[in-house]
Amino acid sequence: MAREAAELTPGESIAEVSGAASGSPTGMAIRRLLRRKVAVISLTFIFAFYLMGLTAPLLGATHVIQDYQHQDLDHDLEGPSWSHPFGTDRLGRDQLARVVWASQTTVIVTVATLFTGGVVLAVGLGLLSGYVGGWVDTLIMRIGDVFASLPTILMLILINATLKTQVRSIAADVQDFTGIGGIVRSGAPDYILIFGALSLFGWVGGARVIRSQILSLRETEFVTAARSLGATTPQILFRHLLPNVSNIIIVSLSLGLAGIAGSELVLTWFGVGIQPPRPSFGALIFDTSSIRTLNQHAYLLLFPGGIVTGLFFAFNLLGDAMTDVFTPKAR
Amino acid sequence: MKGKNAALLAGIGGLVLLVVVFVVLLGGGGGGDSGDGGDKASANPTPGSGGGCDAPKGTDLRLLGPEPIDLDPALIRDAGSAQYAVEVFSGLVQLNADLKVVPDIAESWTISPDGKVYTFTLRKNALFHVDERAVTADDFKFSLDRAAKLGRTLSTTADAYLGDIVGVRDVILGKSESISGVKAINATTLEITIDAPKPYFLAKMTYPTAYVVERSQVTANPERWWYKPKGTGPYKVRTWEIGERIILEANEKYYGGAPKIKQILFNLAGGSSLTQFENCEIDVSGLGIDDLERVQSAGDPLHDQYVTGPELALSYIGFSVKTPPFDDPKVRQAFAISIDRDQLTRVVGKDASPVATSFMMPGLPGYNPNAKLPAFDPVRAKQLLQESKYGGASGLPKVRLTVAGGAGGATVGAGLEAIQQMWKQNLGVDVEINQVETAAFYDDLDRGRVQMWSLGWIMDYPDPEDLIDLLFYSKSRQNNSGYNNPQFDALIEKARSEANPEARLKLYQDAEQILIQDLPWMPLNFGQQHMVVNPHVKGYTVNKIIVPFLRNVTIEP
Amino acid sequence: MDSALASYLLRRLLWVPPILFIVTFVTFTLARLGPGDPVSIATGQFRDPEVLERVRHAKGLDKPIHEQYYIYMKGLLTRGDLGESYRYKGRNVKDIIFPAMYRSAQYNAVALTITISCGIALGVFAARKQGTWSDPTAIGSALAIQSIPTMVGVPFLLLIFALKLGWVPASGWPRDCNVSLGFLGGNYDCIGVLSKEAIIPVIALALPAIAVWGRYTRAFTLEVMKEDYVRTARAKGISEFQVMTQHVLRNALLPLSTMIAFSLIGILEGSFILENLTGIPGVGRLAFESIGSRDYDLIMAITVVGATLFIMTSIFIDIAYTFIDPRIRYGSRSG
Repeated sequence: MAREAAELTPGESIAEVSGAASGSPTGMAIRRLLRRKVAVISLTFIFAFYLMGLTAPLLGATHVIQDYQHQDLDHDLEGPSWSHPFGTDRLGRDQLARVVWASQTTVIVTVATLFTGGVVLAVGLGLLSGYVGGWVDTLIMRIGDVFASLPTILMLILINATLKTQVRSIAADVQDFTGIGGIVRSGAPDYILIFGALSLFGWVGGARVIRSQILSLRETEFVTAARSLGATTPQILFRHLLPNVSNIIIVSLSLGLAGIAGSELVLTWFGVGIQPPRPSFGALIFDTSSIRTLNQHAYLLLFPGGIVTGLFFAFNLLGDAMTDVFTPKAR
Repeated sequence: MKGKNAALLAGIGGLVLLVVVFVVLLGGGGGGDSGDGGDKASANPTPGSGGGCDAPKGTDLRLLGPEPIDLDPALIRDAGSAQYAVEVFSGLVQLNADLKVVPDIAESWTISPDGKVYTFTLRKNALFHVDERAVTADDFKFSLDRAAKLGRTLSTTADAYLGDIVGVRDVILGKSESISGVKAINATTLEITIDAPKPYFLAKMTYPTAYVVERSQVTANPERWWYKPKGTGPYKVRTWEIGERIILEANEKYYGGAPKIKQILFNLAGGSSLTQFENCEIDVSGLGIDDLERVQSAGDPLHDQYVTGPELALSYIGFSVKTPPFDDPKVRQAFAISIDRDQLTRVVGKDASPVATSFMMPGLPGYNPNAKLPAFDPVRAKQLLQESKYGGASGLPKVRLTVAGGAGGATVGAGLEAIQQMWKQNLGVDVEINQVETAAFYDDLDRGRVQMWSLGWIMDYPDPEDLIDLLFYSKSRQNNSGYNNPQFDALIEKARSEANPEARLKLYQDAEQILIQDLPWMPLNFGQQHMVVNPHVKGYTVNKIIVPFLRNVTIEP
Repeated sequence: MDSALASYLLRRLLWVPPILFIVTFVTFTLARLGPGDPVSIATGQFRDPEVLERVRHAKGLDKPIHEQYYIYMKGLLTRGDLGESYRYKGRNVKDIIFPAMYRSAQYNAVALTITISCGIALGVFAARKQGTWSDPTAIGSALAIQSIPTMVGVPFLLLIFALKLGWVPASGWPRDCNVSLGFLGGNYDCIGVLSKEAIIPVIALALPAIAVWGRYTRAFTLEVMKEDYVRTARAKGISEFQVMTQHVLRNALLPLSTMIAFSLIGILEGSFILENLTGIPGVGRLAFESIGSRDYDLIMAITVVGATLFIMTSIFIDIAYTFIDPRIRYGSRSG
């Protein structure tokens, strides 16, 4: 690869090298991944889950699922039936609809956190730290040490407990000022706080891995060549280095998704995450995780618990397959 | 690597297997409770089966208890700690099960004709634990002075419970080191002077703040003496391991006679209490609403062990009467009567606690069985809202109901969600439920920043003053709704100095009628406790308020 | 120890105080940022504003945050004073958190031992059966168990084994200490993990993590099995058991030691959800309660002790690594 680059003319070299680096190994890896039934089935399940979450409003509007807020106090705590496949909760609300909307919460939180914490923070800081080096590297890594050494769950709960009111009142001010209604009601402040906090603590691991990869790539011939050919720092970073670490990014991000979904579950379970009436798996599970409730109304935990378990299982299997495919050394 | 696909199959297979095991064990989920009981009895004869548990081994009573915040009576202000303190310590007077003030260490007392000077005669056989030294009037003088002095720093109860005694505020504010209104006349005579005739004064003296502590122990180790305090009550603290257990042992020298149960073990670690009860791990358990229906039905194995009784508590929706839209009484009324409290209690509450009919609850002196809170009436509610100065639902500003949450739980409670729905349906008002963490909730409430809130009130002592006066008198510092009605205030002021108990209670009832009209709160339910008690344990009853009672409990084989 | 390593370690150690400083400052400020304070929560329903102010003043909570921080750090650095709890009125923080950590450590240690031994056994088994159905079945089942969230799995375990079958008690910690080692002293004498009560918590903690160890062990074992010396050993006709234990496992265990070191930190941190579900009075439950009651000094102590342990362990791992794997050199790494 490096040898070829050296022989090419300046204009073409960059495109060629990055093309070779990004397209081929990642593409090959993905093709290899898709040859595995486990991976395909896992992906299908995850895809179906995300689709369910994304289309929740549509499903609601077209009455495929019932109104998740509609209470029917004459039909509370009914077991599964044709009209309510997952049964009804304490207020006679359709549990299936609540599960579907809960999956939307999971989708929003995981995707938003993945983007802010995973892509922007982990990749950005990892690249910066590894490539620029020097005091920038030291600073970023030491900040990383601070975050890594704090007990994560404790800090997440603390942040959510103490900052929620502030974030909500800011949101309320924004709402009053801009006249955009329903910002607070939509639960957006809760989401922002949750994925903000998750991102803050989630970037360190990814950034470290990416940094160490960049460190070893930084001195390789093709980078040196590109630099000597006059490529700017951003060009080198994004066209040469980034594509070369994309495998690692894909693996660590997809493994991270399950972790994010799990953290949201924990936070909401503790009552500092997504607030009712927005359904979320944390809340659905908390409502029924007392064994007395479970004893009387097992289906209330069985369905949401089963779906979450299925999702995590799919993530785990996919992660396993991806580690095999993308990082052949680690098998 | 083809075999990798088997991972999926194995996993799914495993999960399916788990579900199958589960379903088999449960006999098909929610419905099959009666069949369940039978299975259990045959499969597993001792625990949880129909006949209940054996008598506790030896002479132990095993209970699940809350972790006490501390056992220093001067600092205690929560029910969780008080339930231990009333057994370990004692004071001049105590409450009996009927909530009457009866003698304790004070054998008798006289009240001066102006109602301000109480002269207590102490019994001679009241001994401190371990040392077995007799309690003297000086000990009470020391203890009350100490409790008042702690009011400068740590105590939040000194002012509330002792504030009526002449000179207590001077001590709290640091102007004096000794309460001028408390005098030890001789070893067995104590004289207490209060600032005005207050018929509820003795009721306040039953709270731990006024209990006697052992001077030499407290002065020797002021920080930690209460880990193993020398009290005067029927039980002594044998061990207290934080987060794990408290063991109380009988005080054989107790002046009221040695307690029958020699040792009481409180498990502080928690976990599901009814499950522990069914496993014969504990002898008493509270009942959650999920089990209530089952235990109440006659065929259930636990039915015979079921005990229920009222407690002096009230749940309510509070309105801030100074904040729009609740500054208009018609809006308050509209919100109040659009809540179908009967349906709420039946469906969501599973009839666990009775619908409130007034502010003062049954069992509280002054409870008025004829009082009637306005009934559910959606038509009238809508009409009232239109008649209000806001002219209907569309004219209202944004309405938020603030509730405390966050102490482990992601739910505002089904009840509030149902109420929210009722407001939407019956009034056409979209109320936002703002669940804030407990810490933030009290902060907002103290600063008057909430529009409407949901909370409960547990009586501190059995006197209407603790509810009607404390929470609604216009100048009371605890009047969170900002309620201000001169006519109401006049009745309260009159009640404060009324010497005739009957007439005094009547004044509170009249004041309550005004509250029912003005509705600064909408009471929802009265307190009710439900529990199951091991059939071998006799005399364990539901208490309306925290009173010492364990010495009367017995275990029969 | 070569000089490059020494200077690397020195630099790492020099960074510890500033990191801990930031950790304490962030936690301190964060806890005090929110609405409400310990006094307000501890007061309960009888809330006279005048009394609240008086108590706040007596506790120094009305001072500016930086001043409070100075007072706290002074006490911590000069006297090693972790402060006192507000929730448990005036009780010394170290009397509360160390017994709680001790209890968390007990069941975590037992669970970790089970996890590691089962995990390694599973990994070796899967690696040996590579290519057959047993390999993915074993790993897949472990993964399935790992996928069940604690708050879903534990209630079902309790329901089946405590409530329905009555095999184990429903509480997660013994109410009456059966195994007591008196010489350990007042707060530390009870070995609560050696009781029926601890079975479910230990299982709930041990089972899900087996998959992690199993997968790592499998990967390492497969790698080592391909090495020349293993092939040579096999060719020499050494028994398969000896090959596995003496060559394969011994080499695979080196990288696993890092995982063990990091798991040890987890031992003291407890498990938030498990402890709250089963009523174990450990540090996870304590942490949650102290946030709820804004018990400032307890929150600080848990964070400070946790962060110190974490930083020290990661430095220790770095040192250990240079001895385990001499190829690692620290001279060229920046930072």
